[in-house]
Amino acid sequence: MKPLSNRLKEASKNTLGSLVVVIPMLIAIIGLVGLFETLITPEMLHSLFSGSTVKDMIIGTFAGGVSVGQPFLSYIIGGELLQEGVSLYAVTAFILSFVTLGVVQLPLEYSLFGARFTIMRNLLSLIFAFLVSFATIEVMGILQ
Amino acid sequence: MLGIVALLYLLTFLLDPSSAKASALAALKTLEMIAPILLIVFFLMALLNTFINPKKIAKHLGKESGFKGWVIALAGGILSHGPGYIWYPMLSDLREHGARDGLIVAFFYARSIKLPWLPLMISYFGFAFTALLAFFVLLGAWLQGVMVDIFNAQKSNP
Repeated sequence: MKPLSNRLKEASKNTLGSLVVVIPMLIAIIGLVGLFETLITPEMLHSLFSGSTVKDMIIGTFAGGVSVGQPFLSYIIGGELLQEGVSLYAVTAFILSFVTLGVVQLPLEYSLFGARFTIMRNLLSLIFAFLVSFATIEVMGILQ
Repeated sequence: MLGIVALLYLLTFLLDPSSAKASALAALKTLEMIAPILLIVFFLMALLNTFINPKKIAKHLGKESGFKGWVIALAGGILSHGPGYIWYPMLSDLREHGARDGLIVAFFYARSIKLPWLPLMISYFGFAFTALLAFFVLLGAWLQGVMVDIFNAQKSNP
Protein backbone atom coordinates (compact mmCIF):
# COMPACT_ATOMS: atom_id res chain seq x y z
CA MET A 1 0.00 0.00 0.00
CA LYS A 2 1.26 3.52 -0.84
CA PRO A 3 2.16 5.86 2.09
CA LEU A 4 -0.66 8.13 3.33
CA SER A 5 0.98 11.34 2.09
CA ASN A 6 1.20 9.91 -1.44
CA ARG A 7 -2.39 8.68 -1.33
CA LEU A 8 -3.57 12.09 -0.07
CA LYS A 9 -1.65 13.85 -2.82
CA GLU A 10 -3.09 11.53 -5.46
CA ALA A 11 -6.63 11.84 -4.08
CA SER A 12 -6.41 15.65 -3.94
CA LYS A 13 -5.15 15.65 -7.53
CA ASN A 14 -8.07 13.44 -8.64
CA THR A 15 -10.60 15.56 -6.74
CA LEU A 16 -9.14 18.74 -8.23
CA GLY A 17 -9.44 17.12 -11.66
CA SER A 18 -13.14 16.42 -11.04
CA LEU A 19 -13.54 20.02 -9.80
CA VAL A 20 -12.05 21.51 -12.96
CA VAL A 21 -14.51 19.51 -15.08
CA VAL A 22 -17.58 20.16 -12.91
CA ILE A 23 -17.16 23.80 -11.75
CA PRO A 24 -18.05 25.49 -15.11
CA MET A 25 -21.17 23.30 -15.32
CA LEU A 26 -22.12 24.12 -11.74
CA ILE A 27 -21.69 27.85 -12.37
CA ALA A 28 -23.90 27.53 -15.47
CA ILE A 29 -26.58 25.70 -13.47
CA ILE A 30 -26.46 28.28 -10.68
CA GLY A 31 -26.90 30.95 -13.38
CA LEU A 32 -29.93 29.09 -14.74
CA VAL A 33 -31.36 28.75 -11.23
CA GLY A 34 -31.16 32.55 -10.92
CA LEU A 35 -32.98 33.04 -14.24
CA PHE A 36 -35.70 30.48 -13.41
CA GLU A 37 -36.22 31.94 -9.93
CA THR A 38 -36.81 35.39 -11.38
CA LEU A 39 -38.71 34.52 -14.56
CA ILE A 40 -40.96 31.71 -13.25
CA THR A 41 -43.00 33.36 -10.52
CA PRO A 42 -45.44 31.71 -8.05
CA GLU A 43 -48.25 33.75 -9.71
CA MET A 44 -47.36 32.16 -13.05
CA LEU A 45 -47.56 28.69 -11.48
CA HIS A 46 -50.94 29.49 -9.86
CA SER A 47 -52.42 30.48 -13.20
CA LEU A 48 -51.62 27.06 -14.75
CA PHE A 49 -54.07 24.99 -12.69
CA SER A 50 -57.52 24.28 -14.14
CA GLY A 51 -59.60 22.43 -11.54
CA SER A 52 -59.48 18.95 -13.09
CA THR A 53 -57.68 16.52 -10.72
CA VAL A 54 -55.82 14.47 -13.34
CA LYS A 55 -54.91 17.48 -15.48
CA ASP A 56 -53.77 19.41 -12.39
CA MET A 57 -51.63 16.46 -11.28
CA ILE A 58 -49.85 16.53 -14.65
CA ILE A 59 -49.50 20.33 -14.46
CA GLY A 60 -48.29 20.07 -10.84
CA THR A 61 -45.61 17.56 -11.82
CA PHE A 62 -44.30 19.64 -14.71
CA ALA A 63 -44.53 22.91 -12.75
CA GLY A 64 -42.49 21.30 -9.95
CA GLY A 65 -39.97 20.01 -12.50
CA VAL A 66 -39.23 23.46 -13.90
CA SER A 67 -39.33 25.29 -10.56
CA VAL A 68 -36.16 25.90 -8.59
CA GLY A 69 -35.36 27.00 -5.07
CA GLN A 70 -35.33 25.80 -1.49
CA PRO A 71 -37.75 22.89 -0.79
CA PHE A 72 -39.74 24.98 1.72
CA LEU A 73 -40.83 27.21 -1.18
CA SER A 74 -42.71 24.23 -2.64
CA TYR A 75 -44.57 23.81 0.69
CA ILE A 76 -45.51 27.49 0.78
CA ILE A 77 -46.62 27.57 -2.88
CA GLY A 78 -48.35 24.19 -2.38
CA GLY A 79 -50.18 25.50 0.72
CA GLU A 80 -51.38 28.56 -1.21
CA LEU A 81 -52.50 26.41 -4.16
CA LEU A 82 -54.45 24.20 -1.76
CA GLN A 83 -56.21 27.24 -0.26
CA GLU A 84 -57.14 28.36 -3.75
CA GLY A 85 -58.90 25.05 -4.39
CA VAL A 86 -56.23 23.08 -6.28
CA SER A 87 -56.49 19.38 -5.36
CA LEU A 88 -54.09 17.82 -2.83
CA TYR A 89 -53.14 15.26 -5.52
CA ALA A 90 -51.76 18.05 -7.72
CA VAL A 91 -50.09 19.84 -4.80
CA THR A 92 -48.37 16.61 -3.67
CA ALA A 93 -47.16 15.91 -7.22
CA PHE A 94 -45.83 19.49 -7.34
CA ILE A 95 -43.95 19.14 -4.01
CA LEU A 96 -42.42 15.81 -5.08
CA SER A 97 -41.29 16.87 -8.53
CA PHE A 98 -39.92 20.15 -7.11
CA VAL A 99 -37.12 18.11 -5.48
CA THR A 100 -36.87 14.94 -7.58
CA LEU A 101 -37.15 16.37 -11.10
CA GLY A 102 -34.92 19.12 -12.37
CA VAL A 103 -34.92 20.52 -15.85
CA VAL A 104 -32.16 22.93 -14.85
CA GLN A 105 -29.79 20.19 -13.66
CA LEU A 106 -30.34 17.83 -16.63
CA PRO A 107 -27.18 18.87 -18.55
CA LEU A 108 -24.92 18.18 -15.55
CA GLU A 109 -26.66 14.87 -14.78
CA TYR A 110 -26.28 13.84 -18.43
CA SER A 111 -22.59 14.78 -18.57
CA LEU A 112 -21.71 12.89 -15.38
CA PHE A 113 -24.03 9.86 -15.50
CA GLY A 114 -24.79 9.49 -19.23
CA ALA A 115 -28.01 9.58 -21.24
CA ARG A 116 -29.38 6.16 -20.21
CA PHE A 117 -29.14 6.83 -16.46
CA THR A 118 -30.51 10.40 -16.80
CA ILE A 119 -33.51 9.36 -18.89
CA MET A 120 -34.26 6.34 -16.70
CA ARG A 121 -34.03 8.27 -13.41
CA ASN A 122 -36.09 11.24 -14.57
CA LEU A 123 -38.77 9.07 -16.17
CA LEU A 124 -39.10 7.03 -13.00
CA SER A 125 -39.26 10.23 -10.89
CA LEU A 126 -42.01 11.52 -13.18
CA ILE A 127 -44.07 8.30 -12.92
CA PHE A 128 -43.53 8.07 -9.16
CA ALA A 129 -44.65 11.67 -8.64
CA PHE A 130 -48.09 10.41 -9.71
CA LEU A 131 -47.93 7.08 -7.89
CA VAL A 132 -46.67 8.47 -4.57
CA SER A 133 -49.19 11.36 -4.65
CA PHE A 134 -52.03 8.97 -5.39
CA ALA A 135 -50.99 6.43 -2.73
CA THR A 136 -50.50 9.15 -0.05
CA ILE A 137 -53.89 10.81 -0.55
CA GLU A 138 -55.82 7.54 -0.99
CA VAL A 139 -54.36 5.98 2.19
CA MET A 140 -54.93 9.24 4.08
CA GLY A 141 -58.59 9.11 2.94
CA ILE A 142 -58.93 5.52 4.20
CA LEU A 143 -57.31 6.32 7.56
CA GLN A 144 -59.39 9.43 8.27
CA MET B 1 -23.29 25.22 -21.36
CA LEU B 2 -21.74 28.20 -19.57
CA GLY B 3 -21.74 30.05 -22.91
CA ILE B 4 -25.45 29.34 -23.45
CA VAL B 5 -26.31 30.60 -19.96
CA ALA B 6 -24.21 33.74 -20.53
CA LEU B 7 -26.11 34.27 -23.78
CA LEU B 8 -29.45 33.84 -21.97
CA TYR B 9 -28.38 36.50 -19.46
CA LEU B 10 -27.37 38.81 -22.29
CA LEU B 11 -30.76 38.29 -23.98
CA THR B 12 -32.61 38.87 -20.71
CA PHE B 13 -30.53 42.01 -20.12
CA LEU B 14 -31.40 43.35 -23.57
CA LEU B 15 -35.12 42.63 -23.08
CA ASP B 16 -35.44 43.54 -19.42
CA PRO B 17 -32.31 44.76 -17.59
CA SER B 18 -33.99 44.67 -14.15
CA SER B 19 -34.88 40.94 -14.56
CA ALA B 20 -31.30 40.17 -15.61
CA LYS B 21 -30.00 41.97 -12.52
CA ALA B 22 -32.51 40.19 -10.25
CA SER B 23 -31.52 36.82 -11.82
CA ALA B 24 -27.81 37.48 -11.28
CA LEU B 25 -28.49 38.43 -7.65
CA ALA B 26 -30.60 35.28 -7.15
CA ALA B 27 -27.77 33.19 -8.66
CA LEU B 28 -25.23 34.83 -6.32
CA LYS B 29 -27.51 34.09 -3.36
CA THR B 30 -27.71 30.43 -4.43
CA LEU B 31 -23.93 30.29 -4.79
CA GLU B 32 -23.53 31.78 -1.32
CA MET B 33 -25.92 29.16 0.07
CA ILE B 34 -24.36 26.11 -1.58
CA ALA B 35 -20.66 27.07 -1.28
CA PRO B 36 -20.19 25.54 2.22
CA ILE B 37 -22.02 22.33 1.21
CA LEU B 38 -19.98 22.16 -1.98
CA LEU B 39 -16.79 22.36 0.08
CA ILE B 40 -18.02 19.50 2.27
CA VAL B 41 -18.86 17.43 -0.84
CA PHE B 42 -15.38 17.89 -2.31
CA PHE B 43 -13.77 17.22 1.06
CA LEU B 44 -15.78 13.97 1.27
CA MET B 45 -14.69 13.09 -2.27
CA ALA B 46 -11.01 13.56 -1.34
CA LEU B 47 -11.52 11.44 1.80
CA LEU B 48 -13.24 8.71 -0.20
CA ASN B 49 -10.45 8.69 -2.76
CA THR B 50 -7.79 8.53 -0.04
CA PHE B 51 -9.15 6.07 2.50
CA ILE B 52 -11.73 3.92 0.77
CA ASN B 53 -10.61 1.67 -2.00
CA PRO B 54 -12.91 0.59 -4.85
CA LYS B 55 -13.21 -2.91 -3.38
CA LYS B 56 -14.76 -1.49 -0.18
CA ILE B 57 -17.19 0.69 -2.14
CA ALA B 58 -18.18 -2.30 -4.27
CA LYS B 59 -18.73 -4.31 -1.06
CA HIS B 60 -20.95 -1.68 0.65
CA LEU B 61 -22.69 -0.16 -2.39
CA GLY B 62 -22.10 -2.66 -5.19
CA LYS B 63 -23.95 -5.72 -6.46
CA GLU B 64 -23.47 -7.71 -3.25
CA SER B 65 -24.35 -4.87 -0.83
CA GLY B 66 -27.90 -6.16 -0.14
CA PHE B 67 -30.03 -4.64 2.64
CA LYS B 68 -27.12 -2.58 4.01
CA GLY B 69 -26.69 -0.86 0.63
CA TRP B 70 -30.35 0.21 0.61
CA VAL B 71 -30.11 1.56 4.16
CA ILE B 72 -26.98 3.58 3.29
CA ALA B 73 -28.58 4.98 0.10
CA LEU B 74 -31.92 5.90 1.70
CA ALA B 75 -30.39 7.35 4.88
CA GLY B 76 -27.80 9.24 2.80
CA GLY B 77 -30.59 10.72 0.66
CA ILE B 78 -32.57 11.87 3.68
CA LEU B 79 -29.55 13.37 5.43
CA SER B 80 -27.94 15.06 2.40
CA HIS B 81 -28.35 18.84 2.35
CA GLY B 82 -28.58 21.39 -0.44
CA PRO B 83 -29.66 21.01 -4.05
CA GLY B 84 -29.25 17.60 -5.71
CA TYR B 85 -26.77 18.74 -8.36
CA ILE B 86 -24.02 19.49 -5.84
CA TRP B 87 -23.99 15.78 -4.93
CA TYR B 88 -23.59 14.69 -8.57
CA PRO B 89 -19.74 14.73 -8.64
CA MET B 90 -19.44 12.57 -5.51
CA LEU B 91 -22.12 10.12 -6.65
CA SER B 92 -20.56 9.85 -10.08
CA ASP B 93 -17.22 9.16 -8.35
CA LEU B 94 -18.83 6.40 -6.23
CA ARG B 95 -20.46 4.97 -9.35
CA GLU B 96 -17.09 4.80 -11.12
CA HIS B 97 -15.74 2.92 -8.10
CA GLY B 98 -18.48 0.28 -8.25
CA ALA B 99 -21.61 1.71 -6.57
CA ARG B 100 -24.64 0.45 -8.44
CA ASP B 101 -27.16 2.65 -10.25
CA GLY B 102 -30.16 1.41 -8.25
CA LEU B 103 -28.69 2.78 -5.02
CA ILE B 104 -27.88 6.15 -6.62
CA VAL B 105 -31.45 6.44 -7.94
CA ALA B 106 -32.81 5.53 -4.47
CA PHE B 107 -30.51 8.17 -2.91
CA PHE B 108 -31.88 10.85 -5.25
CA TYR B 109 -35.54 10.02 -4.58
CA ALA B 110 -35.08 9.78 -0.81
CA ARG B 111 -33.85 13.38 -0.96
CA SER B 112 -37.53 14.42 -1.19
CA ILE B 113 -37.66 13.94 2.59
CA LYS B 114 -36.13 17.09 4.02
CA LEU B 115 -35.71 16.62 7.77
CA PRO B 116 -35.17 20.31 8.65
CA TRP B 117 -38.32 21.31 6.74
CA LEU B 118 -40.63 18.59 8.12
CA PRO B 119 -42.11 20.87 10.86
CA LEU B 120 -43.05 23.41 8.15
CA MET B 121 -44.62 20.67 6.03
CA ILE B 122 -46.59 19.43 9.06
CA SER B 123 -47.83 22.97 9.75
CA TYR B 124 -49.09 23.31 6.16
CA PHE B 125 -50.41 19.80 5.44
CA GLY B 126 -50.76 18.04 8.80
CA PHE B 127 -48.92 15.18 10.49
CA ALA B 128 -50.80 12.32 8.77
CA PHE B 129 -50.04 13.66 5.29
CA THR B 130 -46.35 14.27 6.11
CA ALA B 131 -45.86 10.83 7.68
CA LEU B 132 -47.61 9.02 4.82
CA LEU B 133 -45.74 11.01 2.18
CA ALA B 134 -42.39 10.20 3.85
CA PHE B 135 -43.33 6.52 3.99
CA PHE B 136 -44.36 6.35 0.31
CA VAL B 137 -41.30 8.36 -0.77
CA LEU B 138 -39.02 5.82 0.91
CA LEU B 139 -41.00 2.94 -0.59
CA GLY B 140 -40.91 4.65 -3.99
CA ALA B 141 -37.16 5.30 -3.72
CA TRP B 142 -36.52 1.62 -2.97
CA LEU B 143 -38.85 0.45 -5.78
CA GLN B 144 -37.18 2.76 -8.31
CA GLY B 145 -33.76 1.48 -7.26
CA VAL B 146 -34.90 -2.13 -7.65
CA MET B 147 -36.37 -1.34 -11.09
CA VAL B 148 -33.16 0.33 -12.27
CA ASP B 149 -31.11 -2.65 -11.09
CA ILE B 150 -33.46 -5.00 -12.99
CA PHE B 151 -33.24 -2.85 -16.17
CA ASN B 152 -29.45 -2.81 -15.92
CA ALA B 153 -29.26 -6.56 -15.32
CA GLN B 154 -31.48 -7.14 -18.37
CA LYS B 155 -29.26 -4.87 -20.45
CA SER B 156 -26.07 -6.72 -19.46
CA ASN B 157 -27.70 -10.20 -19.83
CA PRO B 158 -30.24 -9.84 -22.63
